[in-house]
Amino acid sequence: MTSNMEKQIFDGQPVVAISNEHDRRTFLRSALIVGVGAGFVGYKVGDPTSGSRASAWAGNLAAPSAKGDLEILNYALTLEYLEAEFYVKGLEAGLLKGRELDLVTPIRDHETAHVEAVTATINDLGGKPVAKPKFTFPASTFKSRENFLATASTFEELGVKAYHGQVTLIDSVEILGAAASIAGVESRHAAILADLTGGEPFPQPIEASLPMSAVLKAATPFIAG
Amino acid sequence: MQIKRKNLIRGDVAAVPAGVSLGALNNGFLWAKAADFNSDVDVLNYALTLEYLEAEFYRQGNSAGLVSGKEADYLDAVQSDEESHVATIMATVKKLGGEPVAAPAVDFGDAFDSREKYLTTAHVFENKGVGAYLGAAGFIQDKAILQAAAGIFGVEARHAAVVGNLLGLEAEGGVYMGVTETPLTKDAVLKAIAPFLAGAGAMGDGAAVTL
Repeated sequence: MTSNMEKQIFDGQPVVAISNEHDRRTFLRSALIVGVGAGFVGYKVGDPTSGSRASAWAGNLAAPSAKGDLEILNYALTLEYLEAEFYVKGLEAGLLKGRELDLVTPIRDHETAHVEAVTATINDLGGKPVAKPKFTFPASTFKSRENFLATASTFEELGVKAYHGQVTLIDSVEILGAAASIAGVESRHAAILADLTGGEPFPQPIEASLPMSAVLKAATPFIAG
Repeated sequence: MQIKRKNLIRGDVAAVPAGVSLGALNNGFLWAKAADFNSDVDVLNYALTLEYLEAEFYRQGNSAGLVSGKEADYLDAVQSDEESHVATIMATVKKLGGEPVAAPAVDFGDAFDSREKYLTTAHVFENKGVGAYLGAAGFIQDKAILQAAAGIFGVEARHAAVVGNLLGLEAEGGVYMGVTETPLTKDAVLKAIAPFLAGAGAMGDGAAVTL
């Protein structure tokens, strides 16, 4: 089930991850299965209720709690830090122009704003925002337009799955609404980057999800410590 | 401090303390009125009406011969997504023992006179859909349904962005609608779609759609 794309991410070589449409679709199917397996056993498109609440809490998933919400927000913050720095560096490299530059520049601004907003929310709730990790991107990431956009597409799809993997674990309805309002923007980014890279903007009719453990594993190669 | 979903379902919206500041993250969050939805079936039937409208809109639009190439491929995929959403939501309502609302009679007016009108109307539908799902999400009690609704919401956001890009709209304000998505109340959504529901009968006694 492990796709080529995931292997490349784990090896710290995420760029030009998918060379053709078939591989891309294979990865997306795999990711869907991974997300469903961990979160909603038995979930099938066409019948959301087939994954019962009981199965969602099965395994090592904790029931929603206020403490859990802070952990989820710090998880989101870590991913937003990663995305924000990625786009800041990518745009500094001056690889894009014209419409592409116009489309990617607001993404950088959104991710930067998400970092600030999630940080403020954690503070408002009396929590302690995690510090920004040191990120390391493979040197090739910002060497070409293709590498930059392919990595961006990977990060956005990962980010979408990450948010959707937390939907049922968030306790506070306000935080749920806030997280969803960010997740929708990440979906927009993902679709536009798929379009720019010749990928599939609408890979499935319902967004797939990934549990925290899988997302962190995928992101770990970029986090220096 | 924590606002529990179940409290909102009980109609306890007024109990949301002003002290819970979500700061810049969520300054536009609008709660649908508690009276808007009494159950998950109510929320799902609201969503189903929107999905019927979208699915039929793309069915007619994609049959009008206004688009070609990659654009046509994208819009075919969007139509397929909306049809899938209709099927998913209908199955879910039935599973919950509810009665799925029937498809409304629709009239899209001059939306298919040109590519620009088609895409511009699609852009409105998709962005209203995004706001509708976000506005209703807090009323969903069942976690599996919430997961599916959130997953549909994200896909509507993808549609909205891509259609905005096909139109060549400004990136911010046309493709993306800000740092966060903005929820819409049920009233606002119903007002927006009212022009596309055909005839007074569509909303009257005995009509297929009861909103």
